[in-house]
Amino acid sequence: MDRNDIKKWFKSPDKMGDKYSLWAIYFCTGCGIIEIPPVITARWDAERFGVIPVATPRQSNLFLITGYVSVKTLRAIIRTYEQMPEPKYTVGFGSCPINGGMYWDSYNTIKHLDKYIPIDGWIAGCMPRPEAIFVAVTHLWTLIDQGKAKAYVKYREKYGLYRKNQEMALGKLDWPPLYTTGGGND
Amino acid sequence: MVINILEIIISPVLAFIIGIFFMGLFRKITARLHWRYGPPVIQPFLDLIKLFHQQGFSHGPVFDLGIIMALAGSIVLILFIPFGGICPISNSGGLLVIIYIMLFAPLGIALSGGEAANPNISIGISRKLILALGYEVSFLLALLALMTYYNTISLVDIVEAQDNYKWALFSPLALSGIAYFIIMPAMLGIRPFDIAGAPQEISTGPAIEYGGKYLGLFNIWHALSMFVYIALFVDLFLGGGSNPLTFFIKMLVVFILLTFIHGVFPRFRIEQAIKYLWKWPVIISLSGLILITVIR
Ligand code: SF4
Repeated sequence: MDRNDIKKWFKSPDKMGDKYSLWAIYFCTGCGIIEIPPVITARWDAERFGVIPVATPRQSNLFLITGYVSVKTLRAIIRTYEQMPEPKYTVGFGSCPINGGMYWDSYNTIKHLDKYIPIDGWIAGCMPRPEAIFVAVTHLWTLIDQGKAKAYVKYREKYGLYRKNQEMALGKLDWPPLYTTGGGND
Repeated sequence: MVINILEIIISPVLAFIIGIFFMGLFRKITARLHWRYGPPVIQPFLDLIKLFHQQGFSHGPVFDLGIIMALAGSIVLILFIPFGGICPISNSGGLLVIIYIMLFAPLGIALSGGEAANPNISIGISRKLILALGYEVSFLLALLALMTYYNTISLVDIVEAQDNYKWALFSPLALSGIAYFIIMPAMLGIRPFDIAGAPQEISTGPAIEYGGKYLGLFNIWHALSMFVYIALFVDLFLGGGSNPLTFFIKMLVVFILLTFIHGVFPRFRIEQAIKYLWKWPVIISLSGLILITVIR
């Protein structure tokens, strides 16, 4: 942890600010959310890494998708994700958002979350232990440091593609496109 | 003249630094009371760095102006409050002016929130105003007792009258001091009175639509208002300070006591809070005022 490295703070305050102040939005999708309360309270205390839960998408910059995503939830996830200010980071938590997990043959969940919104990293496991969240956070730090956590840029560039996938899953979307640029077929 | 201008620049900067430091300390002490390790004390500052380079959403010109108005109101208020020896324009006006300028900042937040038109914001603001209705009664009664006792409305004169350890808290004004102290959590919006910004009920209320640099400005406003209310308490009841350092130490003691209250209490419901605020602080400060008028 290079949080107290003054030189780095002067060199790239943006990156360091993003790294050490990740505000995760309260958003519960599946059973994985049960691991979040111990993470943010006294037992594991995520606040010492600067990770705190916040109540609205406007204030957050980290989106933890904790478990299987039903089609109905996908709509809320997309709307929440689009309301978050850039730069924003997403982490899929559990096997279900990765490839369906034990809901692989369910009629009502989506299998690959990264078709609908861009994901910076995954935590595998059913369900992952709270420690895994900290491992994910430190990995995310490394990615931000190396400038690789750019999923939100990808979303902007390939918005047409994502939008098409979203419409395939949800039918007609009742909100206007977030970006007008970013064609589908590139 | 030059010294005066310097003081006008220095005191908001000092207030900003102290306010941010207090916010960090607040999180650290609360964490320790919860048996957690807690964030580093500079964490609010790191958050500010992040917030100011994040993209922010505006909801219209009034949304931008309101938050700036709130910030300006707090900064003007700071200029009127003596900080140790530093008191830029505090010899003009006094307590009455302070009472009026205090309304400025919440109004700015209310205006700016109104532009965003989120239902949770209106709930949060109405809760905040109801709460203000609750604590303002005993606040004004306490100030009235002070003004009657020292026979002046000037804050500088009140601080001078308390020189040589004749603190108002250990004089017949003790009752008013106690009343001010027990309404202070409501003024600062900390537990048990964090009804206006309850994250679990109404998603942080007035702050809900702020993101990026708007949230940064909001946090700075919060830090400044924390500074204002505690500094006012120290000036009025703890005899100010002969230099900024003693003043800061007194503020720190008051602040840590308030943080302990925050750390151990759950949140009131709005009607419980009003019931409490209109009962005990009003009884105490009213009897304080009667005591002062009788012995004078
Ligand atoms: S990965 Fe396991 S724990 Fe997580 S949502 Fe799926 S079934 Fe539940």
